[in-house]
Amino acid sequence: MQAALRLFTLSTVFLLSVALPGFSADPDANPKRIDMLYKIADHNYLDFKPIGKIELPRIVRFDDQWHFYINTTSALNSGDGWVDEYYLANPDRIQYKDDGIKVAPVSYHLVRADGAHVQFDASITSHLMWFAFSGFLVLLVFGRLASKYNTTTRDGLLPRGTFMNLFEALIIFVRDDIARSNIGEEKYLKYTPYLLSAFFMILFMNLFGLMPWGVTSTSDVMITAVLALFTFTITQFAGTKEYWKHVLVMPGVPKLMLIILTPVEILGLFTKPFALTVRLFANMASGKLLVYSIIGMIFLFADMFGNWVGIGSAVIWVPFTLFIYAIKIFASFLQAYIFTMFSALFIGLAAADHDHEHDHAHEAAH
Amino acid sequence: MEYAYLAAGLGAGISMIGAGLGIGIIGRSAMEGTARQPEASGDIRTSMIISAGLIEGATFFALAICILLALK
Repeated sequence: MQAALRLFTLSTVFLLSVALPGFSADPDANPKRIDMLYKIADHNYLDFKPIGKIELPRIVRFDDQWHFYINTTSALNSGDGWVDEYYLANPDRIQYKDDGIKVAPVSYHLVRADGAHVQFDASITSHLMWFAFSGFLVLLVFGRLASKYNTTTRDGLLPRGTFMNLFEALIIFVRDDIARSNIGEEKYLKYTPYLLSAFFMILFMNLFGLMPWGVTSTSDVMITAVLALFTFTITQFAGTKEYWKHVLVMPGVPKLMLIILTPVEILGLFTKPFALTVRLFANMASGKLLVYSIIGMIFLFADMFGNWVGIGSAVIWVPFTLFIYAIKIFASFLQAYIFTMFSALFIGLAAADHDHEHDHAHEAAH
Repeated sequence: MEYAYLAAGLGAGISMIGAGLGIGIIGRSAMEGTARQPEASGDIRTSMIISAGLIEGATFFALAICILLALK
């Protein structure tokens, strides 16, 4: 009870410090709208809020040529005809940086001043950066683990210390409960490296999103689509002759039925990675939206009943947000597990190379 | 048309009823199975998550259509 009371007091104090500047800002610059989709969208900068922003490189193709800029500011000041979309709407509000020489970006959305169409935008974005950070972290962790197993544990490969024990528990879980139980005893070792990489990449990306300043890369549909594309490709290469026979010409089915069945089976090849993509993306994006929605209730209450009611209602909404946050930590692990397990399941279905008679005999033996 | 928003909201709600029923039935069966045979709880849990994930996947197809309606 006392702990709960302390939590409530703390959260109210925290909210007061956050909410008050929002109310005092002038309504023109800060309309009373929270654009939630903008907050979970991809940006061309890494945001470290009170300290500043790190702008990321722009790689754009127009006039049939590739153009590289070190950041958005240099693109705006390059004289190549770029303009920030914000300045098109507000030409009298141009902001400068570095003693008034360089035009500063506001919306970070570059458009051509002459209205021409940008052919291709391959700029480095925040989601890509956090995807890369997570990849580096996986390399770091696994490189360190491998060297530790090579040097410190000659006596029967026992793990030593928190680091090794923590990761060995997860790695054994992925190997035994995901790979071996879904792919089968003969082939699982061939696919375990991919499943481990996918599991830890997704786990780190999900957990990065819960850190301050962090961005959830997996709430971007392109990132999850690329991950699912890897699973799709590996599944097709793992496919045995039996698997392709079941997809193209299902044995034991009347010939006329094949007209319906074969297109459905081929469609099924593509709906599996699509479901993987959308499941991970929707779960992570909706978790972020949920947090913003519940925190946004404070501002909704303040708008409807006055500022003090809004601040008072923080007593309800902030612990509720903390509860959702705890669920998001659980969901980070669960979604990494589900993605990896479905990948293993699809690979296992494709790689299973026993015929039907053997299959039934196998089941009867159990 | 504003009706697109109504359709999106109703569609999301109705697809959630279906998904909730489906996952609820899976959860009930899994709990009954685990209570009857506690030694099989590991296998039952894995099968439960797979079935729940498949239902979830089908629900996301419905929700994608709702989002398309709302963003139209």
